Amino acid sequence: MKPHPYLRAYMAGVTVPSMMLLVVLSGFLIARYSFHVPIPIERAIIFPMALVPNIFGLWNILYLWLRPRPHLPIGYHGAILPFILAPCGFLLASCLGFLAATSRGLLWFGQIQLPYHVFAIGFCFGLIAYYLVWKYLVGFFNDVLGIA
Amino acid sequence: MNDQPMNDQRMNDELIKDNEKELVNVLQQAVRPVNHELRRDLWPAMLRRLDEHPREQPWIAALFSSATVRAVPWFDWALFAGLIVGASVFPSSIPIWLYNF
Repeated sequence: MKPHPYLRAYMAGVTVPSMMLLVVLSGFLIARYSFHVPIPIERAIIFPMALVPNIFGLWNILYLWLRPRPHLPIGYHGAILPFILAPCGFLLASCLGFLAATSRGLLWFGQIQLPYHVFAIGFCFGLIAYYLVWKYLVGFFNDVLGIA
Repeated sequence: MNDQPMNDQRMNDELIKDNEKELVNVLQQAVRPVNHELRRDLWPAMLRRLDEHPREQPWIAALFSSATVRAVPWFDWALFAGLIVGASVFPSSIPIWLYNF
């Protein structure tokens, strides 16, 4: 039995969003400098850089803690996470001033108008993305670190 | 009078020698002789053990190995395709997806 299972669970959880941060930052830079979307990168990067990886790590610790008890498979466990992350992200984005709720939908970065029905569909796609990421990527890293 | 102690001493020495011989015999029977030569070549067995535990491949190779990809059920491939289609239909939502990841 390897020691410090919760530390390894945290590390396995943190790995995926930390790697994804390169994609996120690249996407923000392309959107800003190629498509002229006025993304305030220095403020928008706070949530994916500081909060999301830590919440992934803590969520994976919770998964490991739940293992001896009745628990969901890791894919479904991860698919629950957007229900926590999305409100946090929207709250932070509103506080930082690049998200506004209007009568026609959510206005992101002062330019991207997202109607509420599109937002609802997008949220469902987010659940799918989190399901796949947790099932295959976080599950893989759990396996590598010996806590699967 | 002088011969009696010498006889006792000689008998005592013979008794000790007999005891030593008996002890040597018992020890030789109890302890097997050391065989300085190996009874067989150990290298083939070592090679077999190495083959049983092949060198671990890098994690990135394991993640994208054909065995891993084949193990993904069709339903998850369909979900993945749905994500690609969704991002293609609503490309403006990609920054929001990125923000929430």
